[in-house]
Amino acid sequence: MKQLWKNHTVSLLLLLYLALTPMFSNAFGVELTGKFIVLMIFAIALDLVWGYAGLLSLGHAVFFGLGGYMLALSYSLQKGVPSFMARFQITEIPLFMKPLTSIPMAFVLGLVLPSVIAFVIGYFIFKSKVSGVYFSLITLALAKLFEMIAINNQAYTGGFNGLMGLPRFPIGGKPMELDSYYYLVLAIAVVVYLFAHWLMNSRFGKIVKSIRENEPRIAFLGYNVAHYKIFVFVISGFISGLAGMLYVPMNGFFSPNEIGLALSTMIVVYVAIGGRGTIIGPAIGAFLINLLQNELSEQYPAFWQLLLGLIIVLVVLFFPKGIYGTLQEKLGAWLAQFRLRREGK
Amino acid sequence: MNVMQQIVDGVSVSSSLLLVALGLAITFGIMKIINLAHGELIMVGAYTTYAVNTVAKLPFFVAVIAAFVVTAIVGALMERFVLRSLYGRPMETLLATFGISIMLQQIVRILFGATNKAVISPISGTLTLGNIVIPYLRLFIIVFSILMLLLTAYILFRTKFGMLVRTVSQNRSMSDCLGINTSRIDLLTFSFGAGITGVAGAIVATLRNVSPTMGIEYMIDSFLAVVLGGVGSLVGTAIGSVIIGEASQLLTFVGGEIGARIIIFVLVIIVIRFRPEGIIKLESR
Repeated sequence: MKQLWKNHTVSLLLLLYLALTPMFSNAFGVELTGKFIVLMIFAIALDLVWGYAGLLSLGHAVFFGLGGYMLALSYSLQKGVPSFMARFQITEIPLFMKPLTSIPMAFVLGLVLPSVIAFVIGYFIFKSKVSGVYFSLITLALAKLFEMIAINNQAYTGGFNGLMGLPRFPIGGKPMELDSYYYLVLAIAVVVYLFAHWLMNSRFGKIVKSIRENEPRIAFLGYNVAHYKIFVFVISGFISGLAGMLYVPMNGFFSPNEIGLALSTMIVVYVAIGGRGTIIGPAIGAFLINLLQNELSEQYPAFWQLLLGLIIVLVVLFFPKGIYGTLQEKLGAWLAQFRLRREGK
Repeated sequence: MNVMQQIVDGVSVSSSLLLVALGLAITFGIMKIINLAHGELIMVGAYTTYAVNTVAKLPFFVAVIAAFVVTAIVGALMERFVLRSLYGRPMETLLATFGISIMLQQIVRILFGATNKAVISPISGTLTLGNIVIPYLRLFIIVFSILMLLLTAYILFRTKFGMLVRTVSQNRSMSDCLGINTSRIDLLTFSFGAGITGVAGAIVATLRNVSPTMGIEYMIDSFLAVVLGGVGSLVGTAIGSVIIGEASQLLTFVGGEIGARIIIFVLVIIVIRFRPEGIIKLESR
């Protein structure tokens, strides 16, 4: 127990805060915090790829958005042909969307499709001898591509406005209370956190980390580097798709912003600021930036973006390890010194 | 619509892509800086043109020169205050320039407002050859882009400055030992690349609406062109631009805009998979 507390102090404090939020907050606050939790899950997913394997994906929202769109489309199709389709004289649900009429099927698709896309992209890039920078450029182009697809196929995706008026929390046919849905999301977040923690401390995680540190050496030791990278990328795509689906009922609508560059940008910022290469760092980053955004973007919308850009540049230049990473380092050094001094006496 | 017309339109698309990618061929191809604010440099050039040409009513060529100067200054500031401390760390560079791109977008939005602006095209009229129609403006852009390509090649391969640029990019520590002021060369090279990008922005401003987020598409396309053609080779950039420009024009004719984008995307991924060095491979020593 003591060990648990020592290793996860910050995580447990954050969990306590999130668990108590519904008791002290109104419905709006709970909904908002719920969205933050979903974004925290998403940030952990990107951290697996970027923080641990050292592969910066600039289009990670593609996986989040694919998951989200599957579920959101499925909800929209529940009452027959939705109005955004009817506007294009579509009277019947098209054949390729038939599987989405069943919610469990959509749920499975929302997990499988992002994983498959991640596998295909990973297979082509990681098997090649190009550096990680190309991976970033390709994922960036991918995000733009999916954003265009979502906007231009208005008859099937609701276009620029996205899918609106989605039912709030219908798990298994029955609507759910906001608070119970909130705790469901929180529980999933804890599971994802524990899973990520376990994975990255396992033998597999250690190899992934050493790929980040020294790829040629790991390759010389006989490991197939490409397979490890592809696997991490697929897992990350899977978790991102899950986060996307959790987001849908929390938000009530789903738009191309959530599949394209806008969200891809934000999630990179969360991970960079929170501290990549730590599981809880990105979650903290997602939480803090969202709190800040919530406070500032309404009062000073023009300066929020400017500040965001500035924060990224400053973090890169002065705190490459992010808030949590820097804190951990400073605190660790201080604690070690303290212990040394005490033992010296 | 006949096919010849599509091919001619494709040449015109390729030429504006070449203009946009030229700056990237210098900053990414030679200096190896991943500049995600490349699109925003185009945007800054386009807004400078709008301010000088449309608002201040000065002639277009003055606007082009102003675009070069303004973006070169922006580039110099970027290099001096951010990029300089990040050489040899591509990931950090990528992230920092990403932050800069968000800032530049917002600065322009604060200065000019979020609505689209239009730059009046300086050349009007069309040339008709049989059943092919080419606006004079497009003809001008084709000629201009070829001239810019030749000028850049001349500067890089026939002047002392260009020789220094290539020397530093090939062996930095040796250049230092020979008494070359490498940090000054870095600053000048990046500003030069940024300035060319600004000129490209001034030219594309005549083709489309100017908006704070216009850069991203150009940036993605020019990165694809440089990667496809071969990083570090001007000829490669030209070939890459022509392939992507023609392919997007012809495929749009066949499969719509989205279909064309998807096919080009897949094409570039396949090229990266099987020929990571691009179409033109540089001799490495």
